[in-house]
Amino acid sequence: MSFDFVEPVVFAVLAFGVIGAGAAVVLLDRITASALLMALTFLCMAGMFVLLGAETIAAFQVLIYVGAITVLILFGVQFTKQGGDRSYALFFQKQYPLAAALVAAVAIPVALFAFSFTAPAPPPGGGDIRPLATSVFTDYAFAFEVASVLLLAAMVGAIVLTTRDERAEAARRRK
Amino acid sequence: MPVGPLGLDPLFWAPLRLIIAVALALFLVLNGALLQIYLERKIQAIIQDRLGPYHVGPFGLLQTFADAIKLIAKEDVRARATDPWFFLAAPALVFCPMLASWVVLPFAQDIVGVDLNIGLLYLTTLGSMTVLGIVIAGWASNNKYALVGGLRSAGQLISYEIPQILALVSVALVVGSLSMIDITRSQAGPLVNVFVLPFSFLIYFIAALAETNRTPFDLPEAESELVAGWLTEYSGMRWGTMLALSEYGNVTVVSSIVTTLWFGGWQGPGVDAIPLLGVLWFTLKVYGVIVVMMWIRATLPRLRIDQLMTFCWLGLIPLALLNIMVVAVLALAFPDTKIPIALASWLLVIAFIAGVPFVQRRRLALLRARASASAVRAAS
Repeated sequence: MSFDFVEPVVFAVLAFGVIGAGAAVVLLDRITASALLMALTFLCMAGMFVLLGAETIAAFQVLIYVGAITVLILFGVQFTKQGGDRSYALFFQKQYPLAAALVAAVAIPVALFAFSFTAPAPPPGGGDIRPLATSVFTDYAFAFEVASVLLLAAMVGAIVLTTRDERAEAARRRK
Repeated sequence: MPVGPLGLDPLFWAPLRLIIAVALALFLVLNGALLQIYLERKIQAIIQDRLGPYHVGPFGLLQTFADAIKLIAKEDVRARATDPWFFLAAPALVFCPMLASWVVLPFAQDIVGVDLNIGLLYLTTLGSMTVLGIVIAGWASNNKYALVGGLRSAGQLISYEIPQILALVSVALVVGSLSMIDITRSQAGPLVNVFVLPFSFLIYFIAALAETNRTPFDLPEAESELVAGWLTEYSGMRWGTMLALSEYGNVTVVSSIVTTLWFGGWQGPGVDAIPLLGVLWFTLKVYGVIVVMMWIRATLPRLRIDQLMTFCWLGLIPLALLNIMVVAVLALAFPDTKIPIALASWLLVIAFIAGVPFVQRRRLALLRARASASAVRAAS
């Protein structure tokens, strides 16, 4: 006997995790549950990356999306009013036929495309960070820099938007 | 047919190995927590000129065992207004990442779960997941103190993750690897990394204190202002899992990272002759770091939340970036020797320590000017 059966089983579990949790994110009417299930989706995606031999990408996926983005979303949720006038799902609020049509329109071409080719086996040692770093800083240096300028602009924008103007505020208080 | 160790079928051996590993990690976490709580109480007692626990067992050694049995025997209380699913899930969300990070800790030459070549990245990744559980715990408790604690922890942990990772980068730059084993091997001999990179050690240690909610930075559970912060509604073994096991487990993990990266890991006199001696050296170094953390807890008062955030964003992060730049430039300029890096790093440490009173005085002057300006405005 061998371990060949383990990989498909793990893949099946992860695939159900991604699809199930992802569907629950958009269908549930509790925003906190949605956020937490989104973290589960990201974790299952990280598991997929590990199966493909890309441990580095998996680690970054968890670090950024589970550790930071989800926490920021929860952070935002906690400042909003809970149990207000109505609870609502993120998308497709009771529009089930429309939802089914839209999902089918995207999913069927994707499925057809996915079954139309066979991917080569992933090269071993994808978790090695050295080739990844080399390609990011040589072949894709321009794209990398453009992305970092974009992030910098977003950061400056966030600071400008959230900085309080003390003089204007004092003037408002005086009125 | 391939045969695993002890002549076992690999199909049988692999699950067995997993079970042994998890059981061993749990054993170490549980006993480490018991020992560290005892140490914490005893060290604080010594510093504060008290006796500490001394009734149960010799020197009070069995006190924490008694406390643990009490915690397990306690009723599982859950307030009615809490969110049932999240309230129960939060302790697991805090505990599991901590347990998973034990897999890459190098206890000795061959005693390590997996030698991942992204070991450091793996550890930071799991460290960043803890905050999710804390925020969920604070929110699900449906309690204002718990919510404030959860929000504080989200802000604090995400902020302090940045200098922590930036400090690790400079070690990776010098060593050229992220594997815990390679990093340990690179520090053969007495010249361990703390002599080469003292400044990144300083930054990492401060940030790690904040990441593990240790005292100068324990704002998420600040007892004197928030009851128990995000832990307010928890009791019994749920509280024990979250606070005792996870917190002390995280302290151990962080101390192991410090030991491996800056203090040479398992290496020490006599390790080449008897490899098992590495476990002893590793444990001694880890507990040395833990004792320093407890010492700090008994010495320093808690920060205010705005001081905490200012210190991170205006102090630690720019300094960590400066550190990376200096180390990277010197590592490229002098690839054969570590002496220029060590000199620059020690200079940065001296500048940092000398600069603290200067910066404090300027901030104080700024605050006074602002206060007097607003007083003038109010009067006019």
